[in-house]
Amino acid sequence: MTTVVVVDDHPAVVAGVRAWCMLADPPIEVLDSGANVGVAWLTPGDQAQVVILDLQLDVTGPAYGDLKRLVDAGRQVVVYSMRADRETVLTCLDIGAFTYLTKSEGQDHLVAAVEAAATNTPYTPPVLSGAFGTDDRPHRPRLSPRESEVLLEWFHCESKDMVARRLNLTVRRVNACLERVRVKYANVGREAPTKAALVARAIQDGLVLADEL
Amino acid sequence: MIGSAERGLRRQGLKYALALRLAVVGVASLGSFVESAPRPVVAISVVVLLNVWNVLYATTMVRGPDRARYWLVPVDVAVTCALAVTQLWTASAEGGAAGTNWVLAAVGITIVSYSWQIGPAGLAAATVVVVPALLAGSALARPGDWLSSVPLQLWLVMEVVLSFAIYRFVRRAARAADRQVERGELVRRQAAVAASRRVDEREYLAALHDTASATLLMVGAGIAGGRQQWLADQAARDLEVIGGPSIVSSREADLIPMLRDVGRLTPLRVHLDLPETLRMPATTAVLLCHGTREALTNVVRHAGVGEATVTARPDGDLVSVEVVDHGVGFDPQRLPRHRYGLTRSLVERMDRAGGQAEVHSRPGHGTRVRLSCPRRPTELAGDDTEVFGSVFLTGLRWAVVVMNLVILTCLDLPKLIANLDIYPQVWPQFLAWGGFVAVTIGVALRIHRGGDLGRWRWALIALVFALSAVATAAIPPEHRLGTVHWSEGDAGWTLVLLLLDVRVPVFVGVLVAQYVMTFAHAALGGDSALPVTSLVSATVIVLGYQFAVGLIAAVLRRLASSSARAARAEEQVRTEEAVAEQLHRDRVERYAGLADTTVPLLRGLASGTLDPGAEDTRRRCAVEAAKMRRLLAEDATAPDPLLHELRACIELAERNGVSVSFAEAGVRPVIPREVRRVLTEPAIAALATARGRVRLTVAGADGTVTVSVIADCPPQAVPVPNTDQIATSTMLDGDRLWIQATWQGGRG
Repeated sequence: MTTVVVVDDHPAVVAGVRAWCMLADPPIEVLDSGANVGVAWLTPGDQAQVVILDLQLDVTGPAYGDLKRLVDAGRQVVVYSMRADRETVLTCLDIGAFTYLTKSEGQDHLVAAVEAAATNTPYTPPVLSGAFGTDDRPHRPRLSPRESEVLLEWFHCESKDMVARRLNLTVRRVNACLERVRVKYANVGREAPTKAALVARAIQDGLVLADEL
Repeated sequence: MIGSAERGLRRQGLKYALALRLAVVGVASLGSFVESAPRPVVAISVVVLLNVWNVLYATTMVRGPDRARYWLVPVDVAVTCALAVTQLWTASAEGGAAGTNWVLAAVGITIVSYSWQIGPAGLAAATVVVVPALLAGSALARPGDWLSSVPLQLWLVMEVVLSFAIYRFVRRAARAADRQVERGELVRRQAAVAASRRVDEREYLAALHDTASATLLMVGAGIAGGRQQWLADQAARDLEVIGGPSIVSSREADLIPMLRDVGRLTPLRVHLDLPETLRMPATTAVLLCHGTREALTNVVRHAGVGEATVTARPDGDLVSVEVVDHGVGFDPQRLPRHRYGLTRSLVERMDRAGGQAEVHSRPGHGTRVRLSCPRRPTELAGDDTEVFGSVFLTGLRWAVVVMNLVILTCLDLPKLIANLDIYPQVWPQFLAWGGFVAVTIGVALRIHRGGDLGRWRWALIALVFALSAVATAAIPPEHRLGTVHWSEGDAGWTLVLLLLDVRVPVFVGVLVAQYVMTFAHAALGGDSALPVTSLVSATVIVLGYQFAVGLIAAVLRRLASSSARAARAEEQVRTEEAVAEQLHRDRVERYAGLADTTVPLLRGLASGTLDPGAEDTRRRCAVEAAKMRRLLAEDATAPDPLLHELRACIELAERNGVSVSFAEAGVRPVIPREVRRVLTEPAIAALATARGRVRLTVAGADGTVTVSVIADCPPQAVPVPNTDQIATSTMLDGDRLWIQATWQGGRG
């Protein structure tokens, strides 16, 4: 059974996450939860496969330091935040977060994202897709026009069926596109064990070719 | 365009030139009795005829039609020539060629005053005709030595040129003053137009909110089950409001919302203590707002605190605004004078509106700035009088400087050098001459720096008196008041220069005192060079000219205030016109924006051709109400207008039970308002008619902006705008309609 630890200072959010995990099929076990990142480092939280981390634990700004330490310790972190701005989203990915979810996407995507993190399969929810698709930083990975298109349409509509219909693709190809983009992002910027694992897995599965990166 | 100052100068200049001519000719003609003319009967008839003609000429010139000048001036020139020729009978030959007579004085003032009445070409022509006539008159009167009067005639020509130069200088000053005031006016007018537009727009939107928007919302929400009279009446009233004329009076504005805007746009925590509403002249309100912003900016820059308090209240006939901070403060006494800081700019600005600005501050005790303005529009608040006054005075001063230097170098210096052997000692003459030149140049430098004479004035006047006395004392008594005595009348010119900005009695008093001193000096010395008769004419010529310049200065001072009044009145009219025109244009534009959509709906509801209970009508009304909501949210000051407008519509939809999931990504270029309207149109219509969940997203990348909406709504309810700038695509997936509108115009 997949196990998680929830770091969030808002009791309602924690309760919601617990409920979703319990109702998931198969259920996900919440080992511990708390307002402080300490719960992820202490027993039993340190045994969790996935850390659900709220970025804004206090007024000092996004908890990039906590995220970095977790990532460097090899933890799979799903960032779960109120913030939806591109800067924050891309910074978290660059640090090595497994994926980034806004609070409004939780209901549709949190469980799936946790499952994907547990199995180390790329997972790109719409807001993250929008951030990738509109990325104009100089060191961004090179995307094909088709990939950019898929990213933006996925951001707009939240339904892979509709994206596929609109672009005359199969859902499989839409998924493949999203996964490849995710791997390309894992391959740039700061080095982190979780990112390396994602790339290695993708090459192993034949999702991308080594010389494509 | 000729401004108020130049126009006033032309009108007043003409009047005063004519009055001066009447007076001087009148006084000079009295000389004919003193001079014991060779043919008294002829002399008296000439004098009477001449003065009658002068009165006739002056009245026709001022009151008559403009075209009268075409015959009036040539006739006047002919009369003047005739007078010049009559010297044989009317003027005594006693003074000799070097002396003067009353005819010369009268003819002189006539052509000198032409420069204020006719253009340069006419002036030149008149001079060319009159001066030879004068020579001819001298030749007839004194056939023996008429040639020796040539220098005097040449000097007359010089006087004409100088008079013309004065007029040009002053006229140029008038034009400069007009331009200066005009620039100020332009700024004020633009501010007034902008303020009125904002006020009008705010009032219009408020009216829209209370009328059309409310009606459409009601129908859209299905409150009216079928055709009802009250609804039809309401729709008809709404139509009147939408199409009606500007609600706001162009002259009045409410200060309070404007102050709120100012507070909001400052990076400070501004505590506002304001009444509900405070109506006042729009221009004054703008001024108070600018002043407040200036004061707040100073808090940001110097006070070292993050908050300030703005208080506004009516205070009798005044409106006062106070900006208080508890920052570091400063010592107003120790502020460097050259700093054009808070105090000066505020004080000047408030002065313009007839208001006041006070700045109280102490180091360590914060700063309090108090601005107050009259609540009612003032007639005139002293305003541009200063501008006109100082520009005029500067123009005239330069003219007198040039004139005095010309007189000193071209007239007096040759006299001095020609008579070197007569003076017992030469140095007092050169000392006096050099002293006058030095004083003149000193004054010129002072004007150039833009300063005032201040307390130097009386010291310099005393110096001129002393130099004049020294020069007179060093001339042999029998030569005093003659050609050798060059300083006799011309010392007065330096005095004129020093006295230009004093009151007329002082001016006359000091000038006359100088003459009295010199005459007394000469009288004490015994016989002088000239007979009394000649002396009177000579003094009338020079002193009259000097008085004339003093008079011009006085006229210009009065002209300054009347010009300022005229300028302000014209400005008010022009501003009102500009405001009214702009507001009307805004109205027409806004009405055009609603003409295709809201107006037909309201018409249909008013006339009963549309059934408010019908599903289709309800849907259309809901869409229009949402669009109006977006219009109400249109706010140029919102940091991200697109999101601001969309959020207003999301809020409306959520109130109708629609759950909206909204997301944005990327950066967007600045989107023009018209584009924004089209771009958001499908989304707004979908929000207004959807049920259940709506996904609304905005993405920007590479200068492209996409607004996408997915909702359960009838496809016919959502417009699909496709213009040359905006491409819209739709896709239906079961009940879900997906519409994307994309604008690519932001690609640089």
